[in-house]
Amino acid sequence: MNKSKGTDICLLLEGTYPYVRGGVSSWVHQIIKGLPEYSFYLVFLGGEEGSYKEMAYELPDNVVGIEVNYLLKKTKKFKPSPRRGNHDAFNLWEEILTYFQESKFPIPNTLLQNIIDNLSVNKKVSIEDFLYSEASWQVVTSVYEKYGDNQSFVDFFWTFRNIYSPLFELAKIVRNLPECKVFHSISTGYAGFLGALCKLKTNRPYILTEHGIYTKERKIDLSQASWIPNRHSALDASIHKKIELTRGTWIRFFEQLGITAYHQADKIIALYEGNRQRQITDGAPENKTNVIVNGINYDQFVEAYSLRPLSPPKVVGLIGRVVPIKDIKTFIRAMRVAINNDPNLEGWVIGPADEDLAYFEECKSLVESLSLKQNIKFLGMQSVKDILSKLGVVILTSISEAQPLVLLEAMAAGIPCIATEVGSCREIIHGMSDEDKALGACGEIVQIAAPNVAANAINRILSNDSNWQQMGDIGRIRVRTYYVESMMYESYRSLYKEGVLWQE
Amino acid sequence: MAGIGFELRKILKKNTLLSIFEAYGLAGVVSSGPWVLSIVALMVIGVLSIGKVSEDVVVVQFLVIVTYLMAGSLILSGLFQLMLTRFIADQFYSKNEEAVTPNLLGCMVVSSLLALIVGGGVLSFSALAPVIKVTILTAFIVLCNLWLIIIFLSGMKQYYRILSTLVAGYGIMIIGSLVFSSFGLGGLLGVFAVSQALITFVFLFFVLRYFPSKKLVAFDFLNPNKIFVSLILCGVIYNVGVWIDKFCFWMTPVLNVQVIDIFYASFIYDLPIFLAYLAIIPGMAVFMLHMETDFAQSCENFYKTVREGGTLKTIYKLKEKMMEDCQNSIYQIFKVQGITLALLLLWAKDILQALGIDAAYLHLLYVDLVGVSLQVLVMAILNVMFYLDKRHQALALVTCIVVTNFVFTQVSIYLGPAFYGYGFTLAMLVTTLLGLVQLNIQFKSLEYQTFMLQK
Repeated sequence: MNKSKGTDICLLLEGTYPYVRGGVSSWVHQIIKGLPEYSFYLVFLGGEEGSYKEMAYELPDNVVGIEVNYLLKKTKKFKPSPRRGNHDAFNLWEEILTYFQESKFPIPNTLLQNIIDNLSVNKKVSIEDFLYSEASWQVVTSVYEKYGDNQSFVDFFWTFRNIYSPLFELAKIVRNLPECKVFHSISTGYAGFLGALCKLKTNRPYILTEHGIYTKERKIDLSQASWIPNRHSALDASIHKKIELTRGTWIRFFEQLGITAYHQADKIIALYEGNRQRQITDGAPENKTNVIVNGINYDQFVEAYSLRPLSPPKVVGLIGRVVPIKDIKTFIRAMRVAINNDPNLEGWVIGPADEDLAYFEECKSLVESLSLKQNIKFLGMQSVKDILSKLGVVILTSISEAQPLVLLEAMAAGIPCIATEVGSCREIIHGMSDEDKALGACGEIVQIAAPNVAANAINRILSNDSNWQQMGDIGRIRVRTYYVESMMYESYRSLYKEGVLWQE
Repeated sequence: MAGIGFELRKILKKNTLLSIFEAYGLAGVVSSGPWVLSIVALMVIGVLSIGKVSEDVVVVQFLVIVTYLMAGSLILSGLFQLMLTRFIADQFYSKNEEAVTPNLLGCMVVSSLLALIVGGGVLSFSALAPVIKVTILTAFIVLCNLWLIIIFLSGMKQYYRILSTLVAGYGIMIIGSLVFSSFGLGGLLGVFAVSQALITFVFLFFVLRYFPSKKLVAFDFLNPNKIFVSLILCGVIYNVGVWIDKFCFWMTPVLNVQVIDIFYASFIYDLPIFLAYLAIIPGMAVFMLHMETDFAQSCENFYKTVREGGTLKTIYKLKEKMMEDCQNSIYQIFKVQGITLALLLLWAKDILQALGIDAAYLHLLYVDLVGVSLQVLVMAILNVMFYLDKRHQALALVTCIVVTNFVFTQVSIYLGPAFYGYGFTLAMLVTTLLGLVQLNIQFKSLEYQTFMLQK
């Protein structure tokens, strides 16, 4: 687009596109394909080497380059050998680390610049010196004395090594990056922090889009993590404290990555209002925040809408993977109650079941024990737009969502929806702005893990033909007005345009 | 060697004067072991035989050949001693006791073959009678195996059995040498080989009974991933280092005497130094008692706390404790060996007279007594380094022994008879000082090294 040298957009991708499938990856693919006038350079950040073998997507032609980086380098490559290390450089390093330990304030520019200039540089703070030098040892012990809170030193030591090693890779990446006009990270975390470093180094605009809330998701991961050392018997009263301390160190680390990314970003985009509020609570400056909703290809569903029968098919569809986060079990229980009132009902689970086979088995045995084998079907992957006209209502019982596209697709086909009160579901079903709300509701919102409530909603929606049609039509209008793909392209097109043309 | 620590501590807990003597006595015997007892036995044989049976010349020939056997076998088995010790310790640590016996047998196979090749090679240069050659070779192979089995004994809690085996074995040797002395050199060597073999196989029997196994032979200790080349080198170089001054004297014309065939001796040098080696028994006893009890325990505490999640403060404190125990051990050795030295220096003249040895040796004996006393300290320092897993520093230290001992001995030979013995003693002094400085540095940065340089 712009004739001056350098790629237009540098996408910073952590553990997603183009190697890992999923909602975020599809979105990235969609954006690249939808904005062919821009050239893209992809920086992929992976965990361990070798975990990412084949690309899950075919790269569009406007992707001019891709680099794959691994943050968890195998340190076995180095041979431990005694060394002194640069004490001055390591003093600054310690100053940086205090920000990661306290995470209230973003890392100031001078120290960020220090990361770019000194990390992974020989005679400064090289990874070998970080791992093996006396200067680094002094930093470790001094940080431990300040923040270690008398926890197990060996645990602290390994957490310390594991947590900060990726920063050395990030510093190398940012120094070797080709020239780009806009940096765009699709999450906070490492990618966001890399964005902050890029911004500081090049002084080019940095856009941060968050689908979920990275820091919150990491906290959930950490609260379930079993890899955090558990070296004492369960009877040991101090064990809980020890795990909490390690967990706390990680959480503060991710919080700092996030807050620094927010601080350096020029634009912070959330998928929906709820997440925007959350970003502000987490330290994002409000004036930078904005909501750009995901859109769908509305035209694809015209046919499904035209096939919609006059009275609702007695089928409740749950479109999603069979995994615990979708809470399929609540759906099954809700169906039991709903079928008690209307024995002709059927429930279809539409989506792959191979991701968590143990959970799939549990669901199947629940179906059996509730005597629903005749009524509930697991259909696997299906073409959504073909199946929609056979459904009477689309339901999501998830315990967590961002902005579920399946609801929008169902609405485009004129099918009413039921969804739990998570992510942007309420905004989708009841409307976002006042104008939007005035359109009316295209379904119902229910609490999470409340099968009776969901069952009532199902029965209610399917009981009245004219109401059913009206709800479906409201949804269709809402999608056409607010959630069309081209609107999302337009928003990003203008964001990118502004960034690419930006001059100092 | 941790096994003996527990046993000794148990004896010491009785806290009577007798129990202290018992512990020290046991520690002395087990630590200085067959090597010192052999010297005693040989001296007894020498004293008893001279003038009574066969000709004096034959007895001297016998003693010189045995000295070569000792030197050669200690150096050759030095290849395996430390390395096997470490391998076994690792097996205990990973609760793999079943691997002990097959690997000992595997190691004995390897070292026997090696001894056969080396010994056969050396003897092929000699014009001795084939019977004598075969006897020497047999004794050589037996000794090489004995030094390997000894490693395991200290780990077993059967000290009195060890003691009685040694006493019986050497008793048989002394009696046998008197009975068979009419057979000349061959008879004496035969008796030597048979009694050493007896001790070796009885010990082997103890070991086999103590460590049951499902396999007969294994060569895991040669596994490239588990082998420590530095320990192999340490073992060999240390033994070369403490023998090299003797070799220098044996090889120097004028100072040496061709006793028989390819075996040379240096009468002026040999007798005092072997006599002096008897003086290390008290020092070795203290060494064993303190190193293997207090220090070993505090060392274990330190590493256990590191592994199992102590706070940094505790780690610092335990290191202080370990340093204190190390200091104390070395100080105790210094003290006891010092007193022994002082007494021996006072009585040296009388001892020589009592043994009927020329008083001309007196001066050299004084110097050697100091030298061997320092050697005990060197051993203690090396032991600490092995506990701290500072293999490369230990290698540097043993290399220092070889180099200084060789250079200083050559200088002393050049300077003349008044300086004989100073080469060895000075070498030990330099090594001791270097070792202490090294230890100091190692302790200072121990936490850094333990955490930052772990593999």
